[in-house]
Amino acid sequence: MTTTAARAVPKAKRPGTGMPSRSSIPRFAGRGLNLLYVPALAVLGVFTLWPLVNGVMLSLSNWDGYSPERSFVGVENYLRLFDDPNFRTALGNTFIYGVGSTILQQIIGLGLAVALDRSVRGRNAARAIIYLPVLVSPVVMGTMYYLFLSYNSGGLNDLVIALGGERTAWLSDSGAAIALIVLVNSLQFVGISMVIYLAGLQSIPTVYYEAARLDGANAVQTFRHITVPMLQPAFATSVVLNLIGGMKLFDVIQVLTAGGPGYSTHSVSTLIAKMYFGSQRAGYASAMGVVLFLIIAVFTLVLNTMLNRRRLEQM
Amino acid sequence: MMSSMTAKHSTAALAIVATAAIALTGCSGDAGGGEGGGEVKIEMQTNFGSTDPSLKVLQKITDAYEKDNAGVKIDLVPSTDTYEADIKVRLSSNDIPDIWATHGWSLLRYSQFLEPLNEQPWAKDFNEALAPAMENADGQFFALPIDTDVAGIVYNRTVLKDAGIDPTQLEDWDRFEAALKTLKDAGITPISSSGKDSWFAGNIADFLGSGDFSDSELEGFKDGTFDEKGYTRILDHVASWQKEGWFNPDYSSATTDDLGRSLAEGKTAFVFVQNYLVATALGFDPDADLGYMPIPSENGEPFLVGGEGRAYGVSKTSPNKKQALDYLAYLAEPDNLSELAGSIGGIPGLTNATSDLGILTASYDAFVEPGELPLKPYFDRVYLPNGIWDTMVTTTDGVITGQMTPADAVKQMKSSYDSLR
Repeated sequence: MTTTAARAVPKAKRPGTGMPSRSSIPRFAGRGLNLLYVPALAVLGVFTLWPLVNGVMLSLSNWDGYSPERSFVGVENYLRLFDDPNFRTALGNTFIYGVGSTILQQIIGLGLAVALDRSVRGRNAARAIIYLPVLVSPVVMGTMYYLFLSYNSGGLNDLVIALGGERTAWLSDSGAAIALIVLVNSLQFVGISMVIYLAGLQSIPTVYYEAARLDGANAVQTFRHITVPMLQPAFATSVVLNLIGGMKLFDVIQVLTAGGPGYSTHSVSTLIAKMYFGSQRAGYASAMGVVLFLIIAVFTLVLNTMLNRRRLEQM
Repeated sequence: MMSSMTAKHSTAALAIVATAAIALTGCSGDAGGGEGGGEVKIEMQTNFGSTDPSLKVLQKITDAYEKDNAGVKIDLVPSTDTYEADIKVRLSSNDIPDIWATHGWSLLRYSQFLEPLNEQPWAKDFNEALAPAMENADGQFFALPIDTDVAGIVYNRTVLKDAGIDPTQLEDWDRFEAALKTLKDAGITPISSSGKDSWFAGNIADFLGSGDFSDSELEGFKDGTFDEKGYTRILDHVASWQKEGWFNPDYSSATTDDLGRSLAEGKTAFVFVQNYLVATALGFDPDADLGYMPIPSENGEPFLVGGEGRAYGVSKTSPNKKQALDYLAYLAEPDNLSELAGSIGGIPGLTNATSDLGILTASYDAFVEPGELPLKPYFDRVYLPNGIWDTMVTTTDGVITGQMTPADAVKQMKSSYDSLR
């Protein structure tokens, strides 16, 4: 009887969804479930946690990067960082690359997103073309620009000469080289910002715009008082992603200037590689790596908190 | 029912874990040939690029060796442009090739990993001129020298002749700098170097350093005293050349090929580089008339620099050490070594071999053969700590581009010197 009654009871459904209720889904339980975490934890441990721990351990040694011997030197490598003008230059450049790229990408990315959010002919093709460089390796992108900027056969100099100017060594001045690195990086990854902002724009309910139009708001007012506030989540995501990407910048610098002239265009990432492989100071390079990790982590955390707080205040 | 479900999930989870474990460990399979499979596979990491004509010569000799030694396979690996970093990573991860190119560092950097070769049958023919750079205090050396590196300042003979400059007369820096001015006035780029392939920049300081210090100053470097005044003297030369506009305007972006082309086409007169650039230049113009000249000195007579050139060592931990040493002995046979040294355009590293120096024969006959000029070791390899080369390159680059004063560059060098000692 009980069995019959049980069979007679229809399966519970979530009201209004047609989906089985939570209570009717077989519950996973027991220790076996925890094993499902193991692959992900193993990958995380092997490829993230262990290198991090190993990096910290290396930073406390004077290892040259290849020989079997190494000695413990405590925090000597960290103390040395304070006196190293090259590290200070690289740190300053890292912020320029991070912040500069982020600002450029937000301005261009948002502009492109707003332009391509409208129903204009060829917008899908335009979106694809702008996003395409993201799929190209930064090394390839950097090499293309390197050839474009090169002194003897670069397209830019051909253009300058055609316009009556003089051939210029664009990468020999550190200020120009830094600006070009920021520009090349921004142009490559502006597609990411555009896609994020496009997604944000498409999630804004049209009723707000209709209401604003009825109230007599012009395009600028609508953009300022509706679009910008409603894009806060997209803004936070885009800024954090671009900032981290810019602060980790490596490939483009390596290809365009290799950190030169002198040490003037190094980021911390490229200086780490130079110290590790070139100067055979793997311990010192690891200390730089740990500091860069901490800076990016703190920076991202603070920025994320600020942006989230602002978003909550506006809700 | 519940326990059955749990058991099924546990089994599924275990299967996932097992799959992940297999996937993760799959990449750690045995990559070496070993000796147990019937065929011995020896990995030889060369420092020839994949299109380098010398690699083809080495491959031809290797093919002949494999034909005579069934069961031995030599895998010649071309180098990348980050050879030095590549080999360091392999050493640090204990993934050491059986044989590798020591690129001038067989003694100071790699000897701890290499098998001593001074007991090999061909060792009696070792060119003693290489001893200061390659032999330790116990008379051990650790690599088969294919060639002996003898270098000076590479020049375009036609350009100098047209400008009325005789390279044999440029015995001091005053005369050399007067020649640079003459060339500049004639519309020729006096010196070409590169911040892109930045070792060209480092070579300038290194070449000058070999001859600009007295013996006591050099001993001071060995004993832990960085001679700031002396090193400033070197960089003052470089800074003055930069100020006069004697370097190539494409310095920041020029590649090795660019410099070779410029030299071959007579657009530049001098390059501070080893003789391999001559082969690159001849690739652009086989009729270019090129040579090399001694380096003027602040401290006595002009000189040439040199030491270990192309050389190969055998890993002391290689499971195929016996076969690797046998293969090296085959390379050391006079005909093979002559052919290899000839392909590089270098003077053979063993005394029983000969090589055709081609267009460089005239320079060799004028400056090396008489034996009157000193052959000095590279300054950084003998008198500066291992690892400082990179700083030397970057600081010289900084001075050439005007981004650093000689004083700043010397400060950086001293800091690097102190921390690497």
